[in-house]
Amino acid sequence: MMPRVVVTGEGMITAAGAGIDAAQEALWSGKTVIAPSERLNGALMADVGEFDPTPWLGNKGVRVLDRGTRLLCIAAQMALTASKYTAVAEGDPDLGLVVGTLFGGVHSIASFDWTGITEGPNWVSPMEFANTVINAPAGQAAIKQKLRGVNSTVCSGLASGLYAMSYAADFLRFGRARYLLTGGMEEVCEETSLGFRKLGLSSPSGAVHPFAETRDGAAPGEGAAIWMLETAETAEARGVEPMFEILGFGAVYDAHPTIGYNPRGEGAAAAIRMAIANSELKPEDIGGIIASANGSPAGDEMEARALKAVFGDSLTGLPLCAPKALFGESMGAGGAIGALVAGFALRRGELPPTAGASAANGLQLSSSAQALRGENILINAFSCDGNNASLVVRSWKK
Amino acid sequence: MRRVAVTGIGVVSSIGTGKDAFWSALLGGTSGISTVSSFDSAAFPVHIGGEVKDFDPLKYLTPERAAVTGRATQMAIAAAKLAVADSRLDFDAVDKNRVGVSMGTTSGEPLFVEQYNDAKKAGGEEAVPAEAMGRYPCHTMPAQVALELGAHGPVTIIPTACAAGNYAIGYGYDLIRTGRVDYVLAGGADAFSRITYTGFSRLGAIAPEKCQPFDKNRKGMIPGEGSGMLLLEPLDAAVARGAKIYAEVLGYGVSCDAHHMTAAHPAADGAIRCMQNAMKEAGVTTDDIDYISAHGTGTPTNDRLESLAIRTLFGERASRVPMSSIKSMLGHTMGAASAIEAAACSLALDTGWIPATMNHEETDPDCGVDIVANKSRKTNPKIILNNAYAFGGNNACLCLKRYVA
Repeated sequence: MMPRVVVTGEGMITAAGAGIDAAQEALWSGKTVIAPSERLNGALMADVGEFDPTPWLGNKGVRVLDRGTRLLCIAAQMALTASKYTAVAEGDPDLGLVVGTLFGGVHSIASFDWTGITEGPNWVSPMEFANTVINAPAGQAAIKQKLRGVNSTVCSGLASGLYAMSYAADFLRFGRARYLLTGGMEEVCEETSLGFRKLGLSSPSGAVHPFAETRDGAAPGEGAAIWMLETAETAEARGVEPMFEILGFGAVYDAHPTIGYNPRGEGAAAAIRMAIANSELKPEDIGGIIASANGSPAGDEMEARALKAVFGDSLTGLPLCAPKALFGESMGAGGAIGALVAGFALRRGELPPTAGASAANGLQLSSSAQALRGENILINAFSCDGNNASLVVRSWKK
Repeated sequence: MRRVAVTGIGVVSSIGTGKDAFWSALLGGTSGISTVSSFDSAAFPVHIGGEVKDFDPLKYLTPERAAVTGRATQMAIAAAKLAVADSRLDFDAVDKNRVGVSMGTTSGEPLFVEQYNDAKKAGGEEAVPAEAMGRYPCHTMPAQVALELGAHGPVTIIPTACAAGNYAIGYGYDLIRTGRVDYVLAGGADAFSRITYTGFSRLGAIAPEKCQPFDKNRKGMIPGEGSGMLLLEPLDAAVARGAKIYAEVLGYGVSCDAHHMTAAHPAADGAIRCMQNAMKEAGVTTDDIDYISAHGTGTPTNDRLESLAIRTLFGERASRVPMSSIKSMLGHTMGAASAIEAAACSLALDTGWIPATMNHEETDPDCGVDIVANKSRKTNPKIILNNAYAFGGNNACLCLKRYVA
């Protein structure tokens, strides 16, 4: 019998604000925070903007952390505190971090090279080299918060956040850790913003409406979303009540050319079925869906087809939410943000509104909150390169 | 949980591409170090590296596919295809829904960042080619491998820098033993780049002439490139199809120094714990280990601390467990390193030969380990530890065992 994996703490910082209260307020208000960014020359995005890390990270050792790393450290600190984990002075070899990201810190990498070619290699700071490896955010977070256990960075495109959470859940089941902070992080910098636009991923109209007939693209979003995971046994032993349980995971790569969804959605449907089956459930046991849809014409179509293939007629009346209408497409953080939103929904018994949405094409989308139809929530994270991941979570019950 | 076997090996390296060429060059002590030619190193204080000079992507990819893939990705695809061919598996007949790809890297495709910056410098932001931006993210590397092989299982890359290969092979091992998939192409890849060279050069870490792990006068590491990919499958299935089994994966251990981004913990804390974790999971003790594939970069600090870790764990037996670093021949191939090293370990278990630490001239009394100086040796190892330590304090140790039918 594999140990049951539970969530005991949450942390989130996004353009909707710092902390899970701010996130929930924004979600349930039905608004969006996707707008032209002052920081990045009016580029459309969900921008965290200026933020002060001091309340969570103090003053020491913060200057060397790049933007994405600060977001990660803040969310991790929030989750640690919320879980009532008791810190060990010299750091805990059984406490670790598994983080999903798409880029790590591409701005740091590009800046490093830019200095090299514009001023010459001898003008490059050796200390900045440390921030150019993709595992730098996780490594820096480990130093800042003395995380001496497992430390992994997982990249599976837009599915990274869910792959990371599943990796962490497995490590706990295998007994390789007692506590794992896990989720996703992504910063939006001039490089990612430009890339989004040049690759045709951005909405030209500026109106990001997942699943809508009028949708014409996505907008990048930044942030970090972290859960504290442990086994049910560990939580019980230290007198902490679990909030949610991590059930099954499914991942399918659709072997389609890079930067392209498979519009027929077989891979996405297979990932959903796998996650449900690995949860020892059937599709009719799912009470709500957190979609991956971000406004992409092809991607949202793929997800709609996949959902119809799996749920059939029962899809009408099965509440669905697309939180990227609020948060934007936050890449490595996306799936993790979706998971935390599922947690918020389980606690309240209802899915939050999807900003500016209405039911269409047999999908039960709404700009109002919707009561859950059951206690198991499906979370999707489908990547535009063909990688598809799904996860099922539910409220904790003994 | 199922037992996991290594049944295919693919390597792209500066001393040879393909398992046989690589292995005979390795045992022969061949050096893959040469003068850097992929960029102008004039402005740097050093000019050598472990470039793969003869890599021809068109041997493994069509011209159309070669045009849209970065160098590290091309090497990974080559190594993956070589591993599949080596395994003699009827790959066409395999259920591709049960094939996964698990990779590791340090830099991904940094040449695209360089291309982005070069274009930006020449013509400003708008001059940057869209293709470069789409091919940069590191998740495209295992995705391209999956695309080439038609794999439909889980696909991921774990960019834990210079320990990534071990993390990737470990994840592949987890996927197989839990029954999630039946085949995994697992390993790592990294390409030579001015970004990486600049970084190590500015850290003063690059040796001017040769890489001499554990030598008293060692002067540093040498950046290299390449790819190592293993085919992993359930041991029982491998036996049933009459496959050649190079080795069994017994488990792996990870840890984080949580100390400094580029300098290892001064008491080798993370290195010690990841070996302990690996052995605990593998169900073995230090008495069972009869060869260690060292991280052995050749820097004064790494080799000293790594030796300290071994002496701390193995006690008085430390000087009797052979430990060698093939970075002495290949240089440091970054995310590919521990994967290429895992390939070498699998071959060592299969053939009985362990590779040497080359360029050894003077013993460092501080190290106190048997580094298999200059000549490969037939020791018939049974249980091996493969160590890797990375920036960010990411450490990983893979434990492999000889398979006897």
